[in-house]
Amino acid sequence: MPGFSGEDAASILAERRYRAIADMLGATVAKGEGRWTYTDISDHVFLHRWLGIPIFLALLWAVFQFTFSLSEPFMVMIELLFGWLEGLAEDGISNPHLASFVAGGIFDGLGSVLVFVPPIFMLFLALSILEDSGYLSRAAFVMDRLMFRLGLHGRSFIPMMMGFGCSIPAIMATRSIDGEKDRMITILVSPLISCGARLPVYVLMAGALFGAERAGMVIFSIYLLGIALAIIMALVFRRALFKGEPSPFVLELPAYSMPTAEAVIIHMWERGKWFLARAGTIIFGTVLIVWFLSAHPWGATSGGELIENSYIASLGHLLEPIFMPFGWDWMAAVALLFGFLAKEVVVGTYGILLGVEEASLGESLVSLGLFTPLTGFAFMAFVLIYVPCVATIGIIAKETNSYRWAGFVVAYLVALAFAVSGLIIGVGRLLGFS
Amino acid sequence: MMDFSIKTGKMFAIYALVLGAICLLAGLVEILGGSGEAIPGDVFGGFVLVVMAATYLAGVKGALHGRHEGLSFLIGGLFLTSVFGVLYLLMMGADGLMYLLGEAEALPALTEARPEIWIFILSLPLACRVRSLTEGMTW
Repeated sequence: MPGFSGEDAASILAERRYRAIADMLGATVAKGEGRWTYTDISDHVFLHRWLGIPIFLALLWAVFQFTFSLSEPFMVMIELLFGWLEGLAEDGISNPHLASFVAGGIFDGLGSVLVFVPPIFMLFLALSILEDSGYLSRAAFVMDRLMFRLGLHGRSFIPMMMGFGCSIPAIMATRSIDGEKDRMITILVSPLISCGARLPVYVLMAGALFGAERAGMVIFSIYLLGIALAIIMALVFRRALFKGEPSPFVLELPAYSMPTAEAVIIHMWERGKWFLARAGTIIFGTVLIVWFLSAHPWGATSGGELIENSYIASLGHLLEPIFMPFGWDWMAAVALLFGFLAKEVVVGTYGILLGVEEASLGESLVSLGLFTPLTGFAFMAFVLIYVPCVATIGIIAKETNSYRWAGFVVAYLVALAFAVSGLIIGVGRLLGFS
Repeated sequence: MMDFSIKTGKMFAIYALVLGAICLLAGLVEILGGSGEAIPGDVFGGFVLVVMAATYLAGVKGALHGRHEGLSFLIGGLFLTSVFGVLYLLMMGADGLMYLLGEAEALPALTEARPEIWIFILSLPLACRVRSLTEGMTW
């Protein structure tokens, strides 16, 4: 089409195509008496020019309140179960090495990760309800207006929303994006959308440092921080690396429907089972390594009692200076290092290093003075941003067909994590927080 | 063109105006730090109430003229009210469960119920009326 930019031509083609479809339907389909449907009525509000984004944010906040508050009693039940199992192991196994392995390695380490099964499944339950009702695609449509104004592609938001579950399918879903530049930008920023694996860290820290009343709000703000950073970084990449206009966004919105319990539960299970699979494989393996390093040399640590003499403490003290300005000690350094394999391991590592029952883990973080609300919030932000897990880096390399891009993602995320956490600490201290 | 009677529309508009005003007031109090146990200080919770208020109030004019556009905002407001009303009721239930597990000192008291719950109960008659009006409407 001479005289039109690429974007105009595509928009005009799409508009004409839909007009032709409407003409054909008008001539062949007889409508019933009701002129309005629930979908028309709902879209009038949910896609509203001014109310669309605030309603999306309100619903997102409801998701996190639901996730945190409703999962609490179920987490307590799992804590009680693992506490009982740990006691059984300590009392029933006479060999001290084996007792330490079972109680400290398996029940402390793995138990402190498995208590987060309820919030992860609750999050996926809420997201499945939103998806099955037809609202999630509306959320992408609503965000498209904002993103397009910023020079970004609206379709990028769909993979980004999938990233709330796991970054790997989110990055694979970028294949649906037409423009190569838009696709690359989406891949590069996808790890900033907080995946389910990071949720245990937020639930532990927010509950311990901000109390149950405010925990949902704190977790919500971390997720919003992730979305905001993804948009900012996408804008930076658009201006610096992938110049040009985003391609137009054409999205067919499905009709709303009442989600069925069966479908919602199946979707929740499909999304959540990876956590159980990871808990039995990579998380289990990593917490055993952490236990070994924390309990040895066996003589010097008196069977894991004097953790300061352990291999892991030496490693942590080596890394500690890097994190000292943020107010984090060697345990945080070690937890972040092992979190590179899987983010849930950050919590498992603390479970082993502090050697306390799952129920007391949060209390110990506060009572031992390991974190204040300010340094804890900065730590949560760091966990949100710094390197994605090994599997995500692998999929980035595969999807971009380049190890250089995977390396670039790691480098920019580490730099960004230090910058953002430093900013949080700096601004917080200026405001008088310790 | 009217989609339902002016009389019904007036009733909807007045109801939406009252619910909108209550949501706005409660939302602003929550944002500004709360008032006693009944309305806790909660910035995000207050923001949600303000969004609910805006949704209800946006539908007042359309409802007055008996138009579906107005009804759509009322349904949107009712949807948000139900989501948050049920959410806070479930949260009270979870607090009760925590008490049974020995993790809380007392059962949640009715006086500590969030304003969103009362607004939800207050909106139920309107929800029933809207439901009867939209009966037979397809998805």
